[in-house]
Amino acid sequence: MVFTWIFRLVGMAYIELQTTTNFSFLRGGSHPDELVNYAAELGYAKIAITDRNTFAGIVRGHDAAKKKGMQIIPACRLDLIDGPSLLAYPTDKPAYARLSGLLTMGNLRAEKGECHLYRKDVFDCTEGIIYIIIPPEKLDQLFNFEASFEKDVEEYSRAIKHLYIAANRNYKANDNKRLFRIQKLAERYRVPMVATNDVHYHCATRRELQDVLTCVREKCTIDQAGFLLHSNAERFLKEAKEMERLFRLYPDAIANTTAIADACNFSLDELVYDYPEEINQSGRKPFEELTYLTWEGVKERFGEDPPEKVVKNIKHELTFIEKMEYSNYFLFVYDIVKEARKRQILCQGRGSAANSSVCYVLGITSVNPDEFDLLFERFISSARNEPPDIDVDFEHERREEIIQYIYDKYGRDRAAIVATVTQQRQKGAIRDVGKVMGLSQDTIDRLSAAIWEFTDEWFKPARLIEQGLNPHDPHLLKVLKLTGEMMGFPRQLGQHTGGFVVTNGKLSDLCPIMNARMQDRTNIEWNKDDIDALGFLKVDVLALGMLTCIRKGFDLCKQHHGREWTLANIPQNDPRVFEMASRADTIGVFQIESRAQQSMLPRLRPSCFYDLVIEVAIVRPGPIQGDMVHPYLRRRNGEEPVTYPSKELEEILGRTLGVPLFQEQAMKIAMVAAGFSPSDADGLRRSMATFKFKGLVNEYEERLIKGMTAKGYTLEFAQRIFKQLEGFGSYGFPESHAASFALLVYVSLWMKCYYPDVFAAALLNSQPMGFYAPAQIVTDAKNHHVEVRPVDVNYSEWDSILESRTKRLFPLRLGFRIIKGIREEDVLILVAKRERPYKTISEIYTAGVSQAALERLADADAFQSLGLDRRQALWQVAALADTPIGLFKGHSSPSEKEQQIELPFMSAAEHVIQDYASTSLSLKAHPLSFARIELNRLRVCSSKQVFGVVAGSKVRVAGLVLSRQRPGTAGGVCFITIEDETGTVNLVVFEKLFETYRKEILGAKLLMVEGWVQREGQVLHVIVKSCHDLTRLINESISMQRNEMPFQSQNKKTQVRENANTDVIPKARNFR
Amino acid sequence: MHKRYMSLWFPTLKTDWKTIRQPELAKVPFVFSTSEKNRLIISACNSIARSSGLHVGMRLADAKAILPDLCVQQDSEDRELKLLKAIGEWCIRYTPLVSLDLPDGLVFDCTGCTHLWGGEENYIREIKARFKSKGYTVRAAIADTIGAAWAMARFSKSTVIEPRSQKLAMSNLPPSALRLDDVTLDKLRKLGFRTIHSFSAIPKSNLRRRFGDLLLLRLMQAYGEVEENFKPLNVPEPYQERLAALEPIRTRVGIEIAIRELLNVMCNRLVGEGKGIRNAVLKTFRIDGKQQSIDIGTNQATCNVDHLFKLFEQKIETIRPALGIELFVLEVTLIGDADISQKSLWTGKTGLADNGVLELLDKLAGKVGSKAIRRYLPQERYWPERSIKQTNDLKEIPQTYWPTDALRPTQLLSKPEVILVTAPIPDYPPMNFRYKDDLHIVKRADGPERIEREWWLDKGEHRDYYIVEDQHGKRYWLYRSGHYGADQTQWFLHGFFA
Repeated sequence: MVFTWIFRLVGMAYIELQTTTNFSFLRGGSHPDELVNYAAELGYAKIAITDRNTFAGIVRGHDAAKKKGMQIIPACRLDLIDGPSLLAYPTDKPAYARLSGLLTMGNLRAEKGECHLYRKDVFDCTEGIIYIIIPPEKLDQLFNFEASFEKDVEEYSRAIKHLYIAANRNYKANDNKRLFRIQKLAERYRVPMVATNDVHYHCATRRELQDVLTCVREKCTIDQAGFLLHSNAERFLKEAKEMERLFRLYPDAIANTTAIADACNFSLDELVYDYPEEINQSGRKPFEELTYLTWEGVKERFGEDPPEKVVKNIKHELTFIEKMEYSNYFLFVYDIVKEARKRQILCQGRGSAANSSVCYVLGITSVNPDEFDLLFERFISSARNEPPDIDVDFEHERREEIIQYIYDKYGRDRAAIVATVTQQRQKGAIRDVGKVMGLSQDTIDRLSAAIWEFTDEWFKPARLIEQGLNPHDPHLLKVLKLTGEMMGFPRQLGQHTGGFVVTNGKLSDLCPIMNARMQDRTNIEWNKDDIDALGFLKVDVLALGMLTCIRKGFDLCKQHHGREWTLANIPQNDPRVFEMASRADTIGVFQIESRAQQSMLPRLRPSCFYDLVIEVAIVRPGPIQGDMVHPYLRRRNGEEPVTYPSKELEEILGRTLGVPLFQEQAMKIAMVAAGFSPSDADGLRRSMATFKFKGLVNEYEERLIKGMTAKGYTLEFAQRIFKQLEGFGSYGFPESHAASFALLVYVSLWMKCYYPDVFAAALLNSQPMGFYAPAQIVTDAKNHHVEVRPVDVNYSEWDSILESRTKRLFPLRLGFRIIKGIREEDVLILVAKRERPYKTISEIYTAGVSQAALERLADADAFQSLGLDRRQALWQVAALADTPIGLFKGHSSPSEKEQQIELPFMSAAEHVIQDYASTSLSLKAHPLSFARIELNRLRVCSSKQVFGVVAGSKVRVAGLVLSRQRPGTAGGVCFITIEDETGTVNLVVFEKLFETYRKEILGAKLLMVEGWVQREGQVLHVIVKSCHDLTRLINESISMQRNEMPFQSQNKKTQVRENANTDVIPKARNFR
Repeated sequence: MHKRYMSLWFPTLKTDWKTIRQPELAKVPFVFSTSEKNRLIISACNSIARSSGLHVGMRLADAKAILPDLCVQQDSEDRELKLLKAIGEWCIRYTPLVSLDLPDGLVFDCTGCTHLWGGEENYIREIKARFKSKGYTVRAAIADTIGAAWAMARFSKSTVIEPRSQKLAMSNLPPSALRLDDVTLDKLRKLGFRTIHSFSAIPKSNLRRRFGDLLLLRLMQAYGEVEENFKPLNVPEPYQERLAALEPIRTRVGIEIAIRELLNVMCNRLVGEGKGIRNAVLKTFRIDGKQQSIDIGTNQATCNVDHLFKLFEQKIETIRPALGIELFVLEVTLIGDADISQKSLWTGKTGLADNGVLELLDKLAGKVGSKAIRRYLPQERYWPERSIKQTNDLKEIPQTYWPTDALRPTQLLSKPEVILVTAPIPDYPPMNFRYKDDLHIVKRADGPERIEREWWLDKGEHRDYYIVEDQHGKRYWLYRSGHYGADQTQWFLHGFFA
């Protein structure tokens, strides 16, 4: 009693033990860190976090608590399927592991997002864990708990050693009666009563948001929610003193909170990460093993006499690795890569640690450090002491093999994928809040249009008025306010694209494991930031389409050209390759095939590997937003002297002519020039990358600019650096990544240069990927003198193949995979049964190919070797259904005896359109060639002619719209690529014109524009002045060939839509 | 007689309908949207939207990219059915046989009707003009068969196809004029059959083998070689009965007989349909041309003639027969579903389930006025004023139960009354309070129960409610508005317990 008094004097007898954060999705109204920070403010030394059946939020709480010098009790609320819920508090590390194991068991039983636990499971897991039973809210008509609850308490009290019963005072009608009943129960079953406040939000003002969350969860509007909501706003974190007052009749309940808190001394810091044993079975110590493997690798890569520079590098790196104890990490990555190589899966590492010489000799990357020097420490900062980061890209079609390999090797109880916390973004938040608040769909759409990407100017009336909304409507303002609060809330746990955590012991001892939505995948409840905070190892196993393409290319090279190439043995620094890149002849090439890249290439004229690194990095939001592109180009072309803002920056910026282009350069500048500590700089990058929290970014901006101007940098330079950092946030591109990517750029360029046949086939077989559709890939291949042959039932296979050669290059036979809607099984039957060429369609039908598949083949005009065009083939296929079966099998079909029908003649134009409909491309002709006469009459140039025109003159040009791109960085400018039978033209549409011609630009398949030709070096653009939709020309040209009146003009007014002809032209691709 | 059919086509049915109600929509691009497979698509668009390249079936997001200021309204599932039905019923004036042709048309069997309008041309002209004046775009054609009329209305300018010439008239139309499914149409298009005549000559067996029976059926239906089913609309009769008096009626007894007679006929009909009367009006027409009426209402739909009669009986004196009434008309203005159950020997039902109680309530309402009797239902709201709602329907089933663990007073004041209170701080129950000059000493108390405002509706202080018992053992529901300590802490009395 005396002790309680003393505590009361200090005001610290109460510890909050029941808190629900927003990681109990759609239940809690505060972030864990908000809760912890507020608790610290109120003077709490400890607080428990008890989310529902999950540990997902505890790391964040722990992290926040550490910064405030307080502690959290990692705990959770167990919602059982067959009994009252329990709060569970592990008292020590083994108990934590048991609880985590319990959650894992519940998670793995259920679908993603659910956890099925029964009371029996809990009873088996009581050692070292303190439980609190939660009594029901309601009392019956005699103000008593239901009889079943009493029975449950009895059973629980017998099975659980440390059991308490929770008592709340939430200002509900029956508080007093309930507390009395709880006390009676507590006495009868010796289950001590403990006070909790069932906290759902840190401060009372969050009640509104919590109500909204409840409505989202229950899928109702706020008006319908009724008793689903809490009746008052009392679920906030209260001061200890106030809690003591509320429980003045039950002082023991308060004292018990401290007793529980004192018993729970487990901290997440005690979790220690152990590398799995299997990665090193040589008997040597990890570092010795790594050293051994490294020198073996050196021998393999460089022979007995390695270059001195490499040796020096490796020695240096090894010392560093030893010092930082990273050996196991490198060994782990090496193991995965070794396995991939064994299975002949192409892979390449990137990330901060990847561009080391050690990684090169271990085969993790193929960027030769001898020819290309990147400083190792630049990528691993010893100051930050965070685990090294190596991402490994694999062929996208075969990555799953590697993932399953990791699962198999280490077991599902030791390996799992990291979670990603899907956050509420603006659009989702406004949608949810708007719906709950009863706004119409239309208003919600307008709102989300009004505030899209305008976080800072949310409440500016102008934006709202623009959308026809009333900026003084309190209801609307409330919606906006709540939306602002809701943004950044976690909404669900997803699966990281490929981040793996592997441990030596059971992974569930550290963190609960759960099922992922995908089959055969399990992931943990923590995301990569949580993992980082606790210092766990993580390797990213990612998928990259281009690697698949390169692998296929290498295979074809081996098969047809008889050369065995690998990423490492391709001749480096081939001038022909760079010359091709400088011409922007890069359709299909990794990374540098986009419009923006293509227009940059002739200006940059890359001539060595490092130029490609720069090329990859420069056309990115970071440098563009930071306005670094033009200064770099001018300096490179010698139009501007290379100067440095200061001496100290010369070292950082030396490689890029004084212009910061890479992410780490910008961060280094923040450190060197603005006095940021490494962790500050990292925090800055993170704050931009993960989510642009309002306020936080501004705070950094101020600090950066102040710091830099204080050191004598111009305000303008400081602002540019900040802008650039902002751009890096979402699409960060550090030099090491750029270097790894640049290698793939070089390899794909090289392949396109020397083996265009192989390259086109590999690209077609790896679709969908990249910027271009098969039609452009085929056109491009033809331009490189590759003969492309059509799909045919007697020659094609599923993939595109190379046929026996006549010239230096092999002819490319298109594969069945380009036919829309055809199934691989059907094709496999067709190919397998094709011992000798098929002569009739019914032969193929008898072989087991379905009628539907044959129809698709007919649509694709694949029966030409049978002497049938698509119409004749279709006529025959359509009648196949009554081929005699059963008893009459083998008898001739009645359709063979029927009289011959003259089918309508099919013009070339119609054929082309049908080709497009079925395969999105035609080898016969370009659809525009049929409209050319008409286009000439309209004085429209072909794209070839446009290239002959002098800059500044006015032209008309028309083509099929291939792609539209409106990058966020280009201030509303829209880039359009159109294609006619002679080539492609790039159009630039400024924002104002875009609004005027919106309908034409977005609606037209065949777009005709008028504009001025602009030239910059070899790059040609047409600056658009007006746009016209000429889509009808395609229809008309077809009817013209048929010598009939265009169908539509027959009776325009009554015509039901008949745009089948133009619908088949593939939709243009849109990029941001 | 030779059959003639007219097909009526509303190309922009739904948007026209909406535009008639919201004329401002006539000048803007406007579409209806509906969700299909989790995405919004356009289900109808007006002509302005269509001329901008929008079409039915397009994704709404794409449409909005083209026309950012597109006006979009939510479509409801069976809107066209309801609309067409209503229009169809209206059209009975042109022919007794009207059939729905979903989703956007009607078919008339106009055999023998057209001459009343001066021939088929005029018939069509008249109908089109009527619809046009209302704001509907409509196209129509008359032919021997439903199929041909359908095709001509949609694909041709000609409106009247002479008897037996449909084959020729249709020969140049596209296959889609034959009401075929998309798969068949697609196949025909791929084979290059772009007009009906291009394949109509092909032997039937060849066609059937490739396109199935439907194509041939449609072809033969259109040509009139096969009869097509015609399912005409049924038009509901209004619930109205008339009783003409042979001699003018001037006595109460006469009126009573008339009422009874009318009720008998009406109730007989309603019983057959499983309906009952909720509201009814009796109109009397005097020989001097004056009209008087009395109306009754019931709490539940009923066909009990005696009961209904009693309700009318209460009001008979308001009728002034003067020189005599020559016509009685009974009109049911509101009907409801009545469960016509078997009469049970023992009526064991209690409360509102007991018909006797209901009939008593009807009678009371007739005497004291319907507003004096109220029924309240519990609502799922915490805020006391909104936790109950008034209803007029005795059959309405409450959405929720009356709460049992949070006690509520039996009488709730519609407006809380201010009281003076002595209470310890911060949230303890009062020690005494003064209400209407009487001092009540609080002997027992429970609370507080804190009820927060419904923040989305109004702003203000929360309330802390207390149940208190005074020295006389009477119980009250009191509350304090807001926390103690705000400038003026106000106390109110909000209800009395039994």
